Amino acid sequence: MSSKVHLRTPAKIYNEGWVDTELVVTNESLFIGKQKISLGEIEDLEDIEKEGIRCIQIKNDKKLILQLPKNIHQQVFRFIAFNLKADKFAVYFLASATVGGVVSATVQWEKGYFSVTDEGLWFLSSKYQQRIPIDNLGSIKKDMRDVGGKQRMVLVLSHVEKSNVVTSLVLCPESTLEMLESYLMRVFERHKPAISLSENEKQILTLIYSGLDFASIENMIGISTDELNEYYDRLVNAGLAKVVKIRKEIELTPRGVSMVDKISKG
Amino acid sequence: MAKVLIVDDTAFMRKLLKNILFGAGFDIAGEAENGKQAVELYKGLKPDVVTMDVVMPEMTGIDALKQIKSVDKDAKIVMCTAVGQEKIVKTAIKLGARGYIIKPFQAPKVIEEIKKVVGE
Repeated sequence: MSSKVHLRTPAKIYNEGWVDTELVVTNESLFIGKQKISLGEIEDLEDIEKEGIRCIQIKNDKKLILQLPKNIHQQVFRFIAFNLKADKFAVYFLASATVGGVVSATVQWEKGYFSVTDEGLWFLSSKYQQRIPIDNLGSIKKDMRDVGGKQRMVLVLSHVEKSNVVTSLVLCPESTLEMLESYLMRVFERHKPAISLSENEKQILTLIYSGLDFASIENMIGISTDELNEYYDRLVNAGLAKVVKIRKEIELTPRGVSMVDKISKG
Repeated sequence: MAKVLIVDDTAFMRKLLKNILFGAGFDIAGEAENGKQAVELYKGLKPDVVTMDVVMPEMTGIDALKQIKSVDKDAKIVMCTAVGQEKIVKTAIKLGARGYIIKPFQAPKVIEEIKKVVGE
């Protein structure tokens, strides 16, 4: 290990249970026990929870889950995020400028990097490291925005975060912006689900996003329960929705009917 | 409960907003499908709050906002815009809009924004 060691810490690695190990971070690699992983080979990184514990998931040719002491978790995460295998662009960004349709009052423009891996987009600065899975990306477009009192061309990314539609803005020189837009469009098209939706399906998706329940959607679209179930199946099969609850439909037995009869007679 | 006038050129969006707001206990004063209708209905219905789409035929939401404000400077108008129309939102706020919601919207956020504006 000839390269400079930045950090050495006890850690746990998940292998059908937690196993004690040591993590050494150098300027070129991670050493997890005896295993060496070059930073440039790390394809993806996620902050995840495993068994209720905050962990770092690293993906190179396989996935590794690391549990680190709480006080250095963020430091290691940031270091890997800045050094993983990605195309990195120096930009200013405004991450989560709007959340669920409401403009975030607290966020500010950050100077940092916009980084693109095979599976995610990253906003990186010294205090901010946010990953957007490419599957969560909804649209990419250029638009003029007021930045520090001047109208500037920015890239507007809409993406999903905890079931909210979020927009984030990227600002960089216009030539870079053009290149970044076409590059992201190619990445986006590659990941786009190959499905075309009917008008009803588009409306049903919108209603689900808005938070309407099954019965309200039935009424609004004007279709039967069976028809809506079929639409739901198609949306689930297309990977656009997932089943969270299965409703029970029941009818009364003769005993139940007799009970209602008694109830109504007081 | 507060009376809301819903203005949007798509029937689907009007129905969705009506469903969300009615479910939250608001009264729906009426619906308009363009800015011109909105101004007329506002004068007659005197709603407590208006949800105003921006891009509409006949008269845009911005023009309707100006006209409503000219007859009632205290009118409470919440603009409904699509992602990418934030510039228009700023113009609307300068013209006196009290709030905005960005499509696609989620019911709790819409209710929160309307309650905030009604409660001012």
